[in-house]
Amino acid sequence: MINVLTILFCLTLIYLAVTTRLSAYVLILVLQGTLVAGVHTLEFFRDFAWPHLAVAAGVLLVRTVLIPSYIAKIIRDLDMRHGDRTRRYRPGFLIQMAAVVIGAFVVSHELSTMAPVDIIPLGAAIAGMAAGGLLIVRRRLLLAHIVGFLIIENGLFLLGIGVRAEMPWIIELAGLLDLFVLVFLMGIAINHLKSHFPEGESDTLTGLRE
Amino acid sequence: MTTFALLVLPLLATLGAACSRSTRLNQRVTLLAGIAHLITSLYCLVTRSNPFPAQWWLAVDPLAAFFLTILSHTFVLVTLYSPGFLQRMEGPEYDRAKRIFYPALNFYLLANTLVLVVQQFALLWVVLELTTFGLVPLIYFYRTKESLEAVWKYLFLVSIGLVFLFVGILFLSLSARGVVGYSAFVVNRMTEAAPQLNPLWVKAAFVFVLVGLSAKIGLAPMHPGDIDATSNAPAPVAALMAGSLRSTAIAVLLRFYQVVAQTEVQPFAQRLLIFGGILSLAIAAIYLWRSRNYKRLLAYSSVEHVGIIALGVGIGGVALLGALLHLLFNSFGKAGLFFMAGNIHRTYGSREIEPITGLARRLPWSGFVWALAFFYIAGTPPFGIFFSELLLLKGMIHGANWLALALFLVLLMVIFIGLSRAVLRMLQTPGVLPQKSDESSERFNVSHALGLYAMAASVPLALFQPAALFDSLNAILASCGVKL
Repeated sequence: MINVLTILFCLTLIYLAVTTRLSAYVLILVLQGTLVAGVHTLEFFRDFAWPHLAVAAGVLLVRTVLIPSYIAKIIRDLDMRHGDRTRRYRPGFLIQMAAVVIGAFVVSHELSTMAPVDIIPLGAAIAGMAAGGLLIVRRRLLLAHIVGFLIIENGLFLLGIGVRAEMPWIIELAGLLDLFVLVFLMGIAINHLKSHFPEGESDTLTGLRE
Repeated sequence: MTTFALLVLPLLATLGAACSRSTRLNQRVTLLAGIAHLITSLYCLVTRSNPFPAQWWLAVDPLAAFFLTILSHTFVLVTLYSPGFLQRMEGPEYDRAKRIFYPALNFYLLANTLVLVVQQFALLWVVLELTTFGLVPLIYFYRTKESLEAVWKYLFLVSIGLVFLFVGILFLSLSARGVVGYSAFVVNRMTEAAPQLNPLWVKAAFVFVLVGLSAKIGLAPMHPGDIDATSNAPAPVAALMAGSLRSTAIAVLLRFYQVVAQTEVQPFAQRLLIFGGILSLAIAAIYLWRSRNYKRLLAYSSVEHVGIIALGVGIGGVALLGALLHLLFNSFGKAGLFFMAGNIHRTYGSREIEPITGLARRLPWSGFVWALAFFYIAGTPPFGIFFSELLLLKGMIHGANWLALALFLVLLMVIFIGLSRAVLRMLQTPGVLPQKSDESSERFNVSHALGLYAMAASVPLALFQPAALFDSLNAILASCGVKL
């Protein structure tokens, strides 16, 4: 079942490559948050303990409700519903994303020969982290960069599952809180940036060069 | 009492400053918290005592005590400088920034203290993020387009860096599978178990940790966010970043290095650090010639100094001692330099080098301290940095690191000429702007006293080598596998 959820996670990455609409990015974050929370719950189902359930609930709350709704609010407030108009859909991004996903599973397979890891969750984790990075590089909208960062964070969470790292639950919850505050700060920064740089694109941030 | 001064007092000061509207009260509370923190840190450094119970994930070991002292010393200097700075920030546009200033400053102290005393690797990552949260409102003090851009880039790059750091922590935990349980994922247990760790995962972990922390340390090639933030933050915040935040991040790197140093991966880690150090020196050498902004110049000078520190850690032996001393002395000098940069900015209203002319005549005291601070960070005797760089050279000669030695000397020379070009130009070019009568006779003030004190303090420390300090430094060296 974990494998099914992590493969679905990879499919959301493909969707990421074919859309430039900001509302679709929010939907992807909700889907990924649900899948990641599901993977976390299943992973610890055999060794059930209340703290594990608390972490899963925290993941669900922060990654599927709080952060996506906060990003949706920024989109509404700043009237950015048009999406990333500066970049029209190009198949090149889809090809790159597909290559990233395939490459991630190859790397994961190679790593499995060296250490006891779960190939599919680990492959999905590496793919998520690389895809987030790719989104940051390929998209110019600053909000898309936050989405890219959050996808990297989702991949990071899966990486913990993939390498079977069992962190104390209090650290997992503290990490989630950190993530939320970080996104909150980035949101505030974007709100202010919009007044100085109405386009909200990374290309306009060129005032601090030599 | 020690725990109270290190953690509870900064927390209370943060809450108190957030609730209070009186700037004067906030200044006093912050200064009190800083002084109590400094005394406690010095006490821990001298007595080598750990106030926390052994089973806790918190401890003040020699490494923590040394870095806590650097943190609180810089914090006290900044707190003493801040009232004058805030007084000059007149106008309603600064009201909000001034209200947030002291709570954020106290939170910064709390977050950095936590980073230094936490011993559990995963928790270390969580608290390291807190240092960013405290710093963001301080960098955004001026609320200009440039400071906003700097905040965004800093926030983003550091966050990406922390992702790398977490991957490193996961890999380190993977290396300890079957050796150390997750509940014992703490520095001393990991150090004891280090010879049994899986070297492949340790190697991968160290690569990710170094890259991840580089954004926070300001080590090339992850330095741009740090440069933008330091050069656009107000003078006290820039001094805090250059003098203590980078030190805290280096302390985290040393925590990982303590484990790596006990494994067969150590030579690989050393090579990586030497490469990072030389690369930072090279980047600083290039940009110190290209930069037209004196605050960016100071920020690149910080890249140079963290490069020297990374190089010292990588060389090992007596060079590691040099690196630790360099950290201490760099924090002293950077405070003086950034305070003077603040004075210059206030008078000339520009961060560009071009319009700054006749500094020695227009601001005689600031010009004097500025010139002295330049010689200080350039490593001129009798200041402390001269002695720490000498130890680095000694380490490179002992270790027969001839290529690193040659590159180090050449790059230092290029940096010295690049920096002196800008500094001497600002000091000695005849002024073209008419002098205002109220600025022509600058009086000696707190900022000058603090700058002079910080530089002078390094001289006896380097010359007389107090036993309490050097015993602690030797203990840190021993924990990194170095015996002198």
